[in-house]
Amino acid sequence: MSRRLLLAVFLVCLVAAAPACRKQPAPAPDALVSAYDVEPDWNDPQKVVALNYRQAQGKRLFYTNCVWCHADATPAGPSNRSNVTPTPPLINDGNVLNGESEEYLRNVISLGGSAVGKSAMMPPYGRTLRPEEIQSLIAYMRAIAQPLYQQSARPGKPYTGR
Amino acid sequence: MGKISRRLRLAFAVSSVIFVAVLAISPVKDLRREWKYYKNGYERFARNRPDKRLLSDFHPGLDQIWIPEMNVVDRCTTCHQGITQPSLADSSVPQPFRAHPPIHHSATDWGCVVCHRGQGPATEVAEAHETTLAWEQPLLPNRLIQGSCGTCHRADLAETPKLTRGRQLLAKLNCVGCHRLQDVDRPAMLAPDLTNIGTKVSRAWIYKWLKEPRTVTDSNGTVTVNGYETGDEPRMPQIHLKEEELRALSGYLSSLRSHPVAPYRFDPRAIALEKAPDLTAQGEVRFRQMFCSTCHSLAVTRAGETKLIGGDIGPELTKVGSKVNRDWLVSWLRNPQEYLPHSTMPRYEWSDQDLFKVAAYITTKLVDSDLLNGVPNLGEATPDEITSGRNLFLAKGCASCHIVGGAAPQKDFGPDLTALGGKNVSQLEFGQSKIPRTLIAYIQTKLTDPVSVNPAARMPQYHWSPDDLEAVTIALISMAGTPSASGMERLKIPRASPEFHPAGAFGEVYERYQCSACHKFNGYGGDLAPDLSYEGSRAQRAWLVDFLKNPQTLRPMLVLRMPQFNVTDKEAAILADYMTMTLQSPLANTAGEGHMRFTPQLAAMGKQLYEVKYQCQACHTIGGAGGYVGPNLSNAGNWLTATWVQAWLKNPQALVPGTIEPRRSFTADEIQALTAYLMTLRPSGKKASAGASQGGTR
Repeated sequence: MSRRLLLAVFLVCLVAAAPACRKQPAPAPDALVSAYDVEPDWNDPQKVVALNYRQAQGKRLFYTNCVWCHADATPAGPSNRSNVTPTPPLINDGNVLNGESEEYLRNVISLGGSAVGKSAMMPPYGRTLRPEEIQSLIAYMRAIAQPLYQQSARPGKPYTGR
Repeated sequence: MGKISRRLRLAFAVSSVIFVAVLAISPVKDLRREWKYYKNGYERFARNRPDKRLLSDFHPGLDQIWIPEMNVVDRCTTCHQGITQPSLADSSVPQPFRAHPPIHHSATDWGCVVCHRGQGPATEVAEAHETTLAWEQPLLPNRLIQGSCGTCHRADLAETPKLTRGRQLLAKLNCVGCHRLQDVDRPAMLAPDLTNIGTKVSRAWIYKWLKEPRTVTDSNGTVTVNGYETGDEPRMPQIHLKEEELRALSGYLSSLRSHPVAPYRFDPRAIALEKAPDLTAQGEVRFRQMFCSTCHSLAVTRAGETKLIGGDIGPELTKVGSKVNRDWLVSWLRNPQEYLPHSTMPRYEWSDQDLFKVAAYITTKLVDSDLLNGVPNLGEATPDEITSGRNLFLAKGCASCHIVGGAAPQKDFGPDLTALGGKNVSQLEFGQSKIPRTLIAYIQTKLTDPVSVNPAARMPQYHWSPDDLEAVTIALISMAGTPSASGMERLKIPRASPEFHPAGAFGEVYERYQCSACHKFNGYGGDLAPDLSYEGSRAQRAWLVDFLKNPQTLRPMLVLRMPQFNVTDKEAAILADYMTMTLQSPLANTAGEGHMRFTPQLAAMGKQLYEVKYQCQACHTIGGAGGYVGPNLSNAGNWLTATWVQAWLKNPQALVPGTIEPRRSFTADEIQALTAYLMTLRPSGKKASAGASQGGTR
């Protein structure tokens, strides 16, 4: 009798242990290793910010079109920022730009400063850049914002079912 | 009997249960397959999302993208289920459910492994992404993925800057000297022709250069060339040579003097300058005025910091006075192509005085008395040294890049790399090296330290910055050889190889001043200076003549500018005539230019638009005020054609693709007014030659 009980207990244990065979999901890859591109932190060159595909496209467009007035150092050396009044914000200036909505940023880039009641010195790029390119630019500026933009600070964790 | 039968029955019962359990393992395992875990998870996840399309698109089985003509069997979408769902684009969506960022190719038409590599048919995370025993292609890391674009796109793309940089490095560092590479053609001249090197430099200098074409200073990777820090890798790599090899090679090379340089007979008035106390200072002024620094850099110390300033088309010249001898220098400056037929250095029009001054400046100021310290006393080369030096020249692969009359390079000195990017790990020779067994680790170790993988490697030592190493790796990965499927072969976008070699009088001047070294013509030429394909539509003839004779900077932001070639009146007329007649855009035909009339009222309205409504001064300067980004417009009335200005305001990118001037929505009237205003802009004091330039010459 006790043998039968033992056997039954063994079988029950076997069935109970089966879910452990379920594979654990792969560990999350390191952000910098899986990054598409990186950008040194503007305020601290020792740190680098990982950029995904979209943000990296924004970085490329920024350094072609926007860097001249929205950064203090440009690929050509001097910046045009001091020639523009009022002084345009640095693109990583989270204190100014984190508070602006996506829609506002989309409008000011595609329609220009005068369309949103700001300086006409900001030209419209709606006929030069495609909508998804403007979206990439916004993604890039959110990624490098200092202080951090709240959404870029919390990228989604890999799915674990829990 | 009964007892036995009972035991037997019990054994039978137990074995039946075990049998059923064993039988059940398979279906249970199948039920619990890794991909089903993600399938079920996605269904639960989709139920909580507002987008109802996610659930209606859900399919419980294995998903597969099958494209037979491209050999694509990709089951990646079994787990990566949200790839085509725009509502899952946000980065807060957990992987593997996030949408793919928008690219020019849709996953359903192209599959995934075409770009990402990995194992398309695999249905387990490890087998799909990593290298396992049975599967050889791991996923390509995202930072190297531009290499996949290059497999089909042999022409450069704006979206793939790292790939373009890598290809440029492969071409610039003359990798084709030894290796066969996809779409990198062997240029007419790889490294300098050494047939007459003995007439140019001393044996001691050759010894020093062979020993140390650069000095690596410290562990943080700071690189110095001739003692000065630079971000650029010198094109000459370091070849590890023993003392007797250095002696033999330097002896052999210094004996190469088949065409001795005859000293140039200067005009006596120029020689009289020898006594002038400020001879070298005058030479320096001319050196600066002629803008040699557009192509050549010099080390300059400012505020205690030494930096290279100037272009990198030609060699760095900080210590060139200690390198070349004076007679050679004068003969080179007068006619570079006589010594080096493929040189891109322009043949300047020199006056004897200028030549004398500049040569004096270079040979007395751009020197370093310590340059040849540490070089033993070598003397004349012995016949033995010359013979063994010549053998070394071939054995070390020098002949693969440098031409010496009579020394034919060994064919295929280095391995063929046209299919390197598509190799499986089992096809690579790792030898005894302790590096990860992956293609990327193999390529990068080979590049940084060739002998660590193969002690007998003949490849010289290059020193790469992390960015350049990544760029070259990407370019090599893109060379994946012949595609495995015939459908892929048809998808290749070939690299264009434009040529522009005009004949006639223009052709002669064009070759003499090497215009294409900096300017592009119909896609051919350098990209340092503006594209001149449509210069005839853009600039007025009189302005072109003025500019060629006395170039100024149009863009205040640029440090480099066009050198002063001292062109003659006749040459300037030939160049300007050809450009105005031939280099015309179909969108800006200047035939109607002479008939345009603008009223002062229109110009006044244009001024209003420029200054108030559109505030163009943010980027353009007029007079002393304005921005640095666009060209200075103070002289627009003498410089630009009205036709060009109108076409430009309508759509700048149609005339110059990729220009950063944004395309605006000006009305036709606004374009007229702005053009009228810009055509009135002439610096005060400079008399307008508008009548002649707009009406007469066209």
